[in-house]
Amino acid sequence: MGLSQPQRILIVDDESQIARVLRTGLKTHGYEVRVASDGVSALETFSDWHPDLVVTDLAMPNMDGLDLCRRLRAISQLPIIVLSVRGEEKTKVEALDAGADDYVTKPFGMEELLARVRAQLRRAAAPPLAEASSAVLEVGDFRIDADARKVFVREMEVHLTPKEYELLLHFVRHAGKVLTHRTLLSAVWGGNYTEQGEYLRVFVGQLRKKIEPNPSTPRYILTEPWIGYRFNPDS
Amino acid sequence: MPFERSWIGYLVAASGVAVTTAVLKLFSPHINSTTVALALLLLVLMVAIRYGARPAVATSLLGVLSFNYFFLPPFGTLTIAAPDNWVALIAFLITAITVGQLSARAERRAEEADAGRREIERLYEELQSAFERASHAEALKQSEKLKSALLDAVTHDIRTPLTSIKASVSTLLEELQGTSVSESPVTLDIDARKEMLEVIDEECDRLNRFVEGLIELARIEAGELHLRRRWGVVDEILATVLKRAEPLTRNHQILVEIADEIPAVQVDPRAVAEVVFTLIDNAAKYSAPGTKILVSAQPIDDEMIQIAVEDQGQTIPYNIRERVFDKFFRATRDGDAGDSIQPKGTGMGLPVAKGIVEAHGGRIWIEDKKEGAGTRVVFNLPIGDVETPPERSPDVVSGRAMFQEIN
Repeated sequence: MGLSQPQRILIVDDESQIARVLRTGLKTHGYEVRVASDGVSALETFSDWHPDLVVTDLAMPNMDGLDLCRRLRAISQLPIIVLSVRGEEKTKVEALDAGADDYVTKPFGMEELLARVRAQLRRAAAPPLAEASSAVLEVGDFRIDADARKVFVREMEVHLTPKEYELLLHFVRHAGKVLTHRTLLSAVWGGNYTEQGEYLRVFVGQLRKKIEPNPSTPRYILTEPWIGYRFNPDS
Repeated sequence: MPFERSWIGYLVAASGVAVTTAVLKLFSPHINSTTVALALLLLVLMVAIRYGARPAVATSLLGVLSFNYFFLPPFGTLTIAAPDNWVALIAFLITAITVGQLSARAERRAEEADAGRREIERLYEELQSAFERASHAEALKQSEKLKSALLDAVTHDIRTPLTSIKASVSTLLEELQGTSVSESPVTLDIDARKEMLEVIDEECDRLNRFVEGLIELARIEAGELHLRRRWGVVDEILATVLKRAEPLTRNHQILVEIADEIPAVQVDPRAVAEVVFTLIDNAAKYSAPGTKILVSAQPIDDEMIQIAVEDQGQTIPYNIRERVFDKFFRATRDGDAGDSIQPKGTGMGLPVAKGIVEAHGGRIWIEDKKEGAGTRVVFNLPIGDVETPPERSPDVVSGRAMFQEIN
């Protein structure tokens, strides 16, 4: 990090004070930072400046954070971190469904945001796993032989049912990203099952039993309460 | 009651006939039998009207007996000698029955009308209570809405500054403790450190303003806004406000128009100053730098003065001109003011201003400017009564601190 060219972060928040602090905090950590006060100007800055990551508030005038996520996702795969306050759960989930990668709840400590920023930038910098269809996927403690449909966790082979395999594959391909219940259901079971949260709970439970060293305190498949799950491939 | 009334009717019949007979008997040598008959008939008529047919028939029977016994020859007997007297008796009876029935019918009509009226009253009351129940339910719903609005406002207006503070403090702490989890150790340069501390300072003030506003609003809503009225001069009040507002209005042109003939007013000068300050603050916030802000004061009549603040910013749409005085309403966020300026206020300035103006017995509203776009907020205040005794002692007024520098 910071070796060749500083990474660019676009902050989108209508609260000037928050934007000020984030700018100073992120700059101090070696990022190049720009600030936009609403979705419309964020899109303009995005196309002129090509940031590596966007941190956006949800409630904003002109174009809100949710809209911004949709618009950005339509044109780019860059990581998006959403800032929300408690009480905006619904919007937050919508934003994640619309393509945001992670969220931080206000008020937050700067370390937390920085950690999320690093994780997302790292994930974005990694070679795209989704395209490596024939190859063997290796992420953290996980190795998946896609051709043979074999899964190894910490070099131990685990036997998964087809649905468990698909679920794990989706997790591995989106490691570090917050995946909403809806996203996972739609990805693994198809669009008709997006309201069947209990399917997901059952399969996540089974998957945890097979891959987690201690399924009652999971370290790979982490629960994001009320939102969904996040896959952390490194224990 | 009807029983009692008819009983009284019979009593009146008996005593009426007795009295009439006695009186007529006194003059009997001088009056003829026709006069007696007419007098008794009159009595029958009155009893019939007042007490109905039955006491009237009794009256007529008694009357005939009295007439016959005392006034018709042969006196002192109940013999009817001449056929004329039969005629008199029948006339008495017919009068008694007819008038009695007529009056009974009239009475029934009156009773029916009365019952009708009572029924209408009952229906009306029922309707009214139904309306009251409905409006009570509506009021409950409104208060629920208000509660959630309050919650939203608190969520936003407290969390936002807290977010800035927390982010700043955590950055400073991280550097101080050197326990950064990031790849490279952090060193904040002096400017960054200063900036963080400034943000903390400003955001603490912002939180404090918000809390003060909440307290002030609660005070007004609880009717505990104690005004310390004294005679004051509008020029002085405005001068004080303008001086205080200077940092906010540095980028605007401030024009002041105070009518020469404006009288002294009996108001709480600091409270009124607070109202004007809020209006100027709003004007400065919501109009472009370099534009004009006009502050004017003039008498309306012998009892009222009017103070207005107008800017060259946006014109507030008619549909939200009243709502901007609701607490936590922010036109730029909650209304469809079209354009989208970020809300800069707490949503409490105008509600507090309204509370103060109304506590003075005045009114505040938004009206069209005479020309051009912009907002014109006007309030009027009663001049006050020369004979009003001075208000309670100043130390009771604990709300003083509330009016202190809101900026």
